[in-house]
Amino acid sequence: MKITFPNMGSAIYAFKALLEPLGADVVFPPPVTKETIDLGVKYSPEFVCFPFKVNVGDFIRSIESGVTNLITATDFGPCRFGFYHAIQERILRDLGYDFRMIALPQGDLLEFKWIKTLDEVCEYTGLKKLSAAWKGVRLFLIKAKLIEDIENAEGKYRCREVNRGDTDRIKRELLEKLDATKRLKDLRNFRNVIHEEFQKMDMDMSFEPLKVFLTGEIHVTLEPYVNRDLKKKLGKLGCEVTQTLSLHDWIMHKFHVNFHRKEMAHLARPHMPLDIGGEAVWVLGEYIWAATHGYDGFFHLYPFTCMPEITARGIITNKLLKEYDLPPLFVSLDENLAEAGLITRLEAMVDLMHGKRKKKNEYKQKLNAFMDSEKQDYLANQQQHK
Amino acid sequence: MVRVGIPRALLYFKFFPLWKKFLDELGCEVVLSPKTNQKILEKGVEIGFNELCLPIKLYYGHMAKLLDKYPDLDYVFIPRYIALDTKGFYCPKFLSLPDAMKANFHDMPPVLEWEVNSKQNLKAVWAIAFGRQLGMPTTRIMDAYSKAVHYYKEYHEVLRKGVPVPDALESVEKGEPFPDPSEIEEKPLTIFVLGHPYNTFEEFTNMSMMEKIQEMGANVLALENLPERVFEHRVKVSDKFDNYWGNEQDILQASNYFYNSGADEIDGVIFLISFACGPDSLIAEIVMRDMKDRGVPYMSLILDEHSGNAGLMTRIETFVEMIKRKKLMEVTH
Ligand code: SF4
Ligand code: SF4
Repeated sequence: MKITFPNMGSAIYAFKALLEPLGADVVFPPPVTKETIDLGVKYSPEFVCFPFKVNVGDFIRSIESGVTNLITATDFGPCRFGFYHAIQERILRDLGYDFRMIALPQGDLLEFKWIKTLDEVCEYTGLKKLSAAWKGVRLFLIKAKLIEDIENAEGKYRCREVNRGDTDRIKRELLEKLDATKRLKDLRNFRNVIHEEFQKMDMDMSFEPLKVFLTGEIHVTLEPYVNRDLKKKLGKLGCEVTQTLSLHDWIMHKFHVNFHRKEMAHLARPHMPLDIGGEAVWVLGEYIWAATHGYDGFFHLYPFTCMPEITARGIITNKLLKEYDLPPLFVSLDENLAEAGLITRLEAMVDLMHGKRKKKNEYKQKLNAFMDSEKQDYLANQQQHK
Repeated sequence: MVRVGIPRALLYFKFFPLWKKFLDELGCEVVLSPKTNQKILEKGVEIGFNELCLPIKLYYGHMAKLLDKYPDLDYVFIPRYIALDTKGFYCPKFLSLPDAMKANFHDMPPVLEWEVNSKQNLKAVWAIAFGRQLGMPTTRIMDAYSKAVHYYKEYHEVLRKGVPVPDALESVEKGEPFPDPSEIEEKPLTIFVLGHPYNTFEEFTNMSMMEKIQEMGANVLALENLPERVFEHRVKVSDKFDNYWGNEQDILQASNYFYNSGADEIDGVIFLISFACGPDSLIAEIVMRDMKDRGVPYMSLILDEHSGNAGLMTRIETFVEMIKRKKLMEVTH
């Protein structure tokens, strides 16, 4: 049985790890391209959020390449995601495609509804099925974590690379290597491999990058074609990117063991006391956290009209910005976003951050000079008294 | 007397009778912002940025107007509807409405938050929590709440008899008895106007289209006028999963009803959607496909801050004309 899923950046390697042990013949979806977007836009409702459209494009291209089993996650509110698969299925059926849509419920992973879906997909029976599922889930979690590590290193080191393109190459090689590793025990050492590979890269360690925090709605933040590879653009502009958002981060949250997210929700509590869908409540927490941890800027990505994220954006611009004074840049993504405009905005933002940092440094210097002279005076006074 | 202000927007169009009666019984004086006008709309558009849906922008505008008009309010009433049953959710913007308002209006009087989350507790428990904010004893709150619930039921019965929502709301506001249903003269056409109450009954932004359609010679039906049996069953979004959006439930139920048994009762459907509405962007797709399968003429109209122009009316006219012609053809054949 050939099976595939929609694109979401490097998270696809984790999805594959989940399904492969179940005996399925997992095929990656064709990478997102202009064609994907055009197809998605053509056949989706006009005002739906962008990830929906990209998914539709992915599905059509997968079906046309001959893979007709589509698996996709679903949720139970409060946002639009829970309706995605049902309406996408209807659209594709009305277009006359023959396929099977499998929805994997991710509402609350501790309700274990997802097991049923895995059960449907699994090719084996009896005990073999159990061990296959167990292996799939473990591989999935471990690989998801390693992908997060790779992505983190990418964000951290690109601004320091000496030879353009080294980071991209290493990232690609590592992901391929990860994909080729099929046994749990071979993954034990993989963290070190990631570390070593990046250490081998030529880096300018004296470079002092701007520190920026990148977050937003999960699909657009993880899928580089959709966000015009913002992380890379920032790296090239000399920004060290921190991004805690990842598939692993999300799954841990859905298993109720993500303490990072709990902390963020706690920080956001006075401004938004509950999860309203998307990443809104954590975005607020992260904004506050980044502002109090020496970051120079905050980048928030979301699909045009995304309900939770624009609510978060409103709270940041109307309230938090005044209290915390961390410059934010909001990027609203859809098929119409012009790349040139985005680059201009990024450059302006980088200038702004440099300006702010310079001011901060000058202030620090002045403060230090003042403290020094005070100290001297004090010492001189002491001398006199003796 | 404690003075409570309510912005005349969003869920006002759905729950105002309940709130008003409850607050009355708790001994509060309720004041509202005036009906939407150009100034309120402009203010809302100025405060809310462009990606927000029109109803939320209007809510901003009404809130600004309310605070401006009544500087001496003791409380501002802001609802936070999270879920009305154990399975559902409201749209994310309702979940965070008080937060969004507090973030923008910094020197607002204290907020009376009406939170309802049936996932966690019975509605009555939330009512008690609400009354406590006013420092009321539980027995009095319970008493007031049951009266309010009763009143709200009565209100719906009146609507089902065919009293238009704006008229009924007006009598609630004035504290008068509900108006009698006026004699409806039978017209050859019936158009079903679907949409959230804050779109269908917000006469400023939809240019009183309900009345205009009537003038074109058609009966207008709204969700509120449909019989109770339409709303009995939960709607499924696929064979495995139920709909979870509380604020779309009745829209889907109505669409289902007309898809199945009620298709002959109406001649066309107009779905009023506001620009940038998340839920409707998907629900409209379902309704559109359902109606197409069933052969019921369907049109969706997108409301935004610029929609107050002739274009909207022309489209409605063309639609109604088209249906008339279709009917005529059917009769003559
Ligand atoms: S969070 Fe945003 S992108 Fe995701 S379903 Fe909701 S509106 Fe769409
Ligand atoms: S349901 Fe639609 S119109 Fe209503 S608040 Fe939500 S997004 Fe806005």
